Amino acid sequence: MNLLTRILEQINLIGGVALFLIGLHTVVTHSNLIKKIMGLNIMGTGVFLFFVAIGNVEGGVPPILVDGNPLYINPVPSALILTGIVVSVSVTVYSLSLVVRIFQSYGTIDAAELAKKRSEVSEHD
Amino acid sequence: MIENLPILVVLAMVVFAVTIPFWKKLSFRFTLILGGIVLVSALVANVAIWNHVQANGEILFRFGGHLPFLGIEFKIDAFASMFSLFVATLSLLIYLYSSGDKTEGIEQPEFFRFYVLFFLMLFSMYGILFSNDIFNTYVFIEILSLTSCAIVSIKRKKEAYAAAFRYVMLNEIGSLSFLLGIAFLYMSTGRLNIDLLRDALHTGTIQANVWMAVAFFTAGLGLKAAVFPFHIWLPDAYASAPTTSSAMLSSIVSKMYLVILIKVYAKVFGFDLLKGSALSTLLLVLASLGMILGSVYALAQKDLKRMLGYSSVSQIGYVLLGIAFFSEAGLRSAFFHMISHGLTKAALFLAVGIVIYLKQSRSVKGFEGTGFQMPIAMSVFAVAAFSMIGIPLTSGFIAKWNLGIAAETASQFGFLVLIVVSSFLNAMYFLPILFTAFFKDPADGPQRAKPEKIPAPMLVSIGALAVMILLLGIFPDWLMTMIDVVLAGF
Amino acid sequence: MAKQKLLVSKSSARSTVLVILSLLFFLVFVASMSNWFGLGDAIASSEALVRIAMRDEWLLVLLILPILGGFLQLSLGSKHVKWRDRVVIGTTFLDLALSLLIYPNALDGGIQIDFPRLLGLGLHFHVDMLGYAMILITNVVWLFVMIFTHVYIGHEKRSTRFYFFLALTYAMVLGAVAAADLFTMYLYFEIMTVASYLLVVHDQKDDSIKAAGTYLFMGLFGGFLILAAMLLLYFEVGDLRFLSALNALNDVGSIKYWILGLLIAGFGVKAGVVPLHIWLPRAHPVAPTPASALLSGILIKVGAYGILRVATSYYFPLEGSADATWLTVKTVGFFVIWLGILTMSVGVFMALQQAHVKKMLAYHSVSQMGYIVMGVGIAMYLGDHGAIGYAGAVYHILNHALFKSLLFLVAGVVSHHTHEMDMYKLGGLWKKLPVTTILSIVASLGIAGIPLFNGFVSKSILHHGIVEAVHEGSWVFQIAEIVFLVVSAGTVASFVKMNYHLFFKKTERKYDSIGFEWDGMNAAMIGLSFFIVAIGLAPGFLIETVILPQIRLMGFDPHFVEEAFAHLEYFNPTDILTMAGVAAAGYLIFHFGTKHHWFHLHLPRWMSFDYLIIFPLYQLLYRSCKILDRKNQAKWEEDERLLSIAGTNDTDTFSRIRRAVVRLSDATEGPIMQGDALIYAGLIAASLIILFLTAI
Repeated sequence: MNLLTRILEQINLIGGVALFLIGLHTVVTHSNLIKKIMGLNIMGTGVFLFFVAIGNVEGGVPPILVDGNPLYINPVPSALILTGIVVSVSVTVYSLSLVVRIFQSYGTIDAAELAKKRSEVSEHD
Repeated sequence: MIENLPILVVLAMVVFAVTIPFWKKLSFRFTLILGGIVLVSALVANVAIWNHVQANGEILFRFGGHLPFLGIEFKIDAFASMFSLFVATLSLLIYLYSSGDKTEGIEQPEFFRFYVLFFLMLFSMYGILFSNDIFNTYVFIEILSLTSCAIVSIKRKKEAYAAAFRYVMLNEIGSLSFLLGIAFLYMSTGRLNIDLLRDALHTGTIQANVWMAVAFFTAGLGLKAAVFPFHIWLPDAYASAPTTSSAMLSSIVSKMYLVILIKVYAKVFGFDLLKGSALSTLLLVLASLGMILGSVYALAQKDLKRMLGYSSVSQIGYVLLGIAFFSEAGLRSAFFHMISHGLTKAALFLAVGIVIYLKQSRSVKGFEGTGFQMPIAMSVFAVAAFSMIGIPLTSGFIAKWNLGIAAETASQFGFLVLIVVSSFLNAMYFLPILFTAFFKDPADGPQRAKPEKIPAPMLVSIGALAVMILLLGIFPDWLMTMIDVVLAGF
Repeated sequence: MAKQKLLVSKSSARSTVLVILSLLFFLVFVASMSNWFGLGDAIASSEALVRIAMRDEWLLVLLILPILGGFLQLSLGSKHVKWRDRVVIGTTFLDLALSLLIYPNALDGGIQIDFPRLLGLGLHFHVDMLGYAMILITNVVWLFVMIFTHVYIGHEKRSTRFYFFLALTYAMVLGAVAAADLFTMYLYFEIMTVASYLLVVHDQKDDSIKAAGTYLFMGLFGGFLILAAMLLLYFEVGDLRFLSALNALNDVGSIKYWILGLLIAGFGVKAGVVPLHIWLPRAHPVAPTPASALLSGILIKVGAYGILRVATSYYFPLEGSADATWLTVKTVGFFVIWLGILTMSVGVFMALQQAHVKKMLAYHSVSQMGYIVMGVGIAMYLGDHGAIGYAGAVYHILNHALFKSLLFLVAGVVSHHTHEMDMYKLGGLWKKLPVTTILSIVASLGIAGIPLFNGFVSKSILHHGIVEAVHEGSWVFQIAEIVFLVVSAGTVASFVKMNYHLFFKKTERKYDSIGFEWDGMNAAMIGLSFFIVAIGLAPGFLIETVILPQIRLMGFDPHFVEEAFAHLEYFNPTDILTMAGVAAAGYLIFHFGTKHHWFHLHLPRWMSFDYLIIFPLYQLLYRSCKILDRKNQAKWEEDERLLSIAGTNDTDTFSRIRRAVVRLSDATEGPIMQGDALIYAGLIAASLIILFLTAI
């Protein structure tokens, strides 16, 4: 019971790391290139969730200035995450354009077939 | 005035990169000359910064005047200054080479895009070196990763795309690990500024979060720096990239990640924390595997650039070995090796670029008679190869000597065997090329073929690199005193 | 045609003059040292002369002059051949004169020059009498071989390159023997290896490239062993100078044995110690004659010098120390003596089997280096009584340089005229090449150790040394002494065989194309033979001038030194009788050997050294790749079939290892590059386990 409570308390952090691992697993095991990119995004999302969860303060209000002096949650991680999301988006864009080019050149977006086609080409050199 | 120089350097890079599309409308030559001016002034500025830092101590630059707790800070100390000098010199020489580059790879319309990426890479590298805020470092790392992937795939060929794809996948995994590491650190200390982080970490007990952070940082930076099991992207990327990109990547970019690794270990965690830990053992194992297996795989390659790529894996193993001892002697050898290897690898890739272009072949076997057709390129290759093997009078020998001393200082005498074996393996794959180049006549009869006409900037660039390798090998003291100044600040 | 003849004779006149001039220099030198006609006193009393001779800078000039000469002749190139050759011979001649000049300075406490700021640890030079002996012999042999080369190479293509690398090697040898610490010596040693590679590979045929590749790889391998030892020594002792390091080393345990072992192995590669000698018989036949002469004459001596220097400086205590401090060097010395015995026996045995003259001479070099290494071993083993071994080793270095280079030059002349190197196919050359025949006999008498020629004294001293080892050490050295005598007999037999087959055998071949000419080659060879005879007639001179002063500097027991040397009668009946017995035995071996065909044994393939050492390694790698790469079984079998058809060529040692390594990496690279998840999981698991284990 104690363990369960502790897990529930930190569910966001655990979820973040879990997403990271799921994403990593996707990137490594799936052979479809688009799925790899999706895996990357999942990883990124996991990290962002982790970050935001760090910034949470129990019983805090969103960090918008209001009258009085309530307890704000930490705004810094959210700001960091914005940067992170931008980076993630640009990497996704770049990877997707590469996938398009790969499809145009090789005719496949499956990593295993890709490797086979590349080794065939290099043997012919 | 001098205080502002670092920022001006960084700004100059990004401004020039962004405005290249406008300059090129005037004339491409003008763009090239302007770029050269920017790089030369960056070099001069870096020399001035080094002098200032050596005399007066570090330069602190706070953006917006905010305190370090809230704002982003640039700290230029001896460590940052020495490496920015290194980056400035090498980038100038590689730029010089690329300005005369008529070889394959980058087609004419792509040239300006190449230079945009080039200057953006430099911008991010200076940023990484100067930044004193760990998240800021992450942003610059991301810029560096993206631009280096793009610079690999700028050649519109199939292999480049596939190689760049794998590169970007692995790089991103690395970056996200790094970010997760930052998250763990932020979780335990609530700080992002490196100095404040260090102070926070050294008070109180070390929690498990901090070790997780160490692990993620190591994994992330290891992926990017091509430490042994994560090196798989490297041979393809170096082989399919155009020559100048490979040179940039192998000589400067790979060092940057190792520099950040040292910065993180030394400035955030501190060596005393890490010294006796299992991390040292793990890094030693990975470094040794990298040193030996990198050379073993290099032996087997038939493509020249892939061979150089695996050779890089091996050399990164050397640097990691120096870092893994977590001692002053180890760091000294790691720094010297990074600088020496930067010069050597750049010379190798650039010389090989000339040879591949003229021979129209990338095979390791096709070198007969090259020694006479391209005397300067092959002589530079010979000097660089001797430096890799570790023959005295070259900088590579001094680097290996220091590494051996570092291993002994840590009482790990077994590593001497490793250093000797890997040097011998290096000899086994570099020397046959030199043998065939200078002593075998080409198949169509032993003629003294007239040396081909190679554009002057390329020759000047590789010549300068070879001269620097030899100078560093004969008079290493000036660099050793610089390194000592840097180490004093650790 | 007439013009060419004129060219030859004019230059041959100049060469002869040069030879005579250098011999005159030596005469003056000997005269002043031995104080003939009061010449020595006259020179010593002249203030100006003494001051000039004592300047340290002459050493620097001596070291730099060859490099300058090399670059100068490189710029002159093939366009100004006459001036180029003059520069080459001129620099060598000047260096010889300089080396005679620096004798008094070297005698007086040694010459010391330091450059502390270079290369991290600084370059330091110190010439004591041992270094001086090496410099002297290098200059002498180099000068005469250069005069020979000038005629032999003539207008061959790429001769400029050859001369340049000869000059570079020359400078490197001088620097290596003049070095004051191991670091400087290592620097010169490595560059010497690389520069001499160029000499061996000169004619760029496939055989030459392969043999030179073996030479370079083994040389670099030896260099790396020395580097490892140097790192250990630097760390333990802090200073690499050739001074006694026993204070620092005594308490470190087994590391001092490792250091000495690595150094002996590293220098032993260059010295041709068995089993590291395999490059020697491959490099000598393919190199041009002058290069072989210098390789055998000088370069391998640098290896022996290295062993001698490191063993006797780091591990010898300062004068007058207790017995216990000699322990390390005595233990290792025991093994070094046996190493020398092994080397000399293998060398002479293989030499007797050879038909190719140069290969035979190469194996004899191995054998004679065995003598020298045995001498070094005696110097180490006998501790403070080791002066005999030391003297024998140094003296034999000097003698061997002279007669071996002369022998190679003789072989060169024979091949130059007949284009044939198989001794069984030659014969009866004494009629056409009388001078060469006489010179060959002189050199053979030298190497055989016949009294009145130089080999006699050094071999006798070595014999005395091994007898001393029997007396002071253990009886087991009696076996060593017997082997020593047998090997000497074998040497005699081998040279009787060579001279018979080359010059005296009756044969139907008519050598019409050979005409006798007096040219620089003959002059040079006669110059060398002059030394052989002179040393043979007056063996005490070298001992008095060069060897004894050095021995007095080392930590040997002075009482023993005086006893052993001061009253050494070189031509005593015991030694002469021993030598006569050996010579007779040698002749008998030759006689019965020829009759019963002992000299054509074909050893089974598995007995060659690289087979014994490399083959197991190769098989191990090969089998492991086969296991790892089960998918490509068909490809492996095809490879194996091809290999067995092509035959296993001895010269392919390194390429065999290379092939095995290539196979291994091909087998494993694929799965790793595909990002095989299983491999990654395995690697991660392994690293976690390592972390876990070390954390416990």
